[in-house]
Amino acid sequence: MSLLPVVEALEASAISTAMRSDPYFSAIVNVVHLLGLVIVAGSLLIVDLRLLGGGLKKQPLAQVARDAQPWLIGALCLMLLTGIPQILLTPTKQYYSAYFWLKMEVLPIALIFTFTIRRMVALADEGRVHHLVRKLVGLVSIALWTTIPVCGRLIGLLS
Amino acid sequence: MLRPLFEFVDALPSSIALRESVYGYTTLLTTHVLSMCLFAGLVIMMDLRLAGFGNKKTPISEIQKRLFPWQTLGMVGSTITGVLLFYGQPMRYYGKVYYWSKIAMMVLALLNLLYFHLSTYRSVAQWDTEVRPPLNVRLAGIISLVLWAGVVATGRLTAYDWLTYR
Repeated sequence: MSLLPVVEALEASAISTAMRSDPYFSAIVNVVHLLGLVIVAGSLLIVDLRLLGGGLKKQPLAQVARDAQPWLIGALCLMLLTGIPQILLTPTKQYYSAYFWLKMEVLPIALIFTFTIRRMVALADEGRVHHLVRKLVGLVSIALWTTIPVCGRLIGLLS
Repeated sequence: MLRPLFEFVDALPSSIALRESVYGYTTLLTTHVLSMCLFAGLVIMMDLRLAGFGNKKTPISEIQKRLFPWQTLGMVGSTITGVLLFYGQPMRYYGKVYYWSKIAMMVLALLNLLYFHLSTYRSVAQWDTEVRPPLNVRLAGIISLVLWAGVVATGRLTAYDWLTYR
């Protein structure tokens, strides 16, 4: 079962055509998506740096994680809200982009990892988790979440 | 104005080589975006604390001291890639209002930062752990948030042909 007919239907749809016809729509969506990215990056990094043993070293890990969480969740919602229109703007281009598919595959993995393993390790009593486990979790988090915006950027640049 | 200088750089063999390089622009821009995420992301976390919006349990002096090296790393990365991106096609950016707005906002943001550090921050011991810091601290945080968001936004908008003059 090929997605191509669905993609072609989306490309021709009223909503996609309307979005493309407005000169400001895609720019505004892109800008808000980028601002959301920066907030996601900050709220992830402040915890990941701490997991790696750097950053806010004197603060309890669980406290840093809890403080960052509402911003992470809010910014991720913002990215979803702007990401869907971005896909609807040029469905065919995304369909034919290997980077789009890689991004869509890594994104759920990153989300699941962040809200299960990473969350558990970040909120756990620090004495009960070996520091190498924390460092590994921090590294995996950075690796996964770096892949996503790189792929996103490459959809536009290498197609 | 600066036009002759920009045209001179634009015609240099190294500038031409950079903009004709197959993956040059892509690599530079992607690295620029990642450096921006590191820099602006941590600056936002700090500004949220200054403004009293977030990270409220962390002392301000801790956030300042611990995040500064990483913010600097991000800034250095963004600046190097930014200078190279510009160097490759100076005449493309010369006529873009959004590009110059971005530079102006960066300068203002850095002035805000300097003022905060040289003046306001001196009294940090008095409000280090305040959930709601004094007004001038909150203002510094909010101004910084607005300006850096502006830098990111105008940076993105330079990609479009809007407000571009030959």
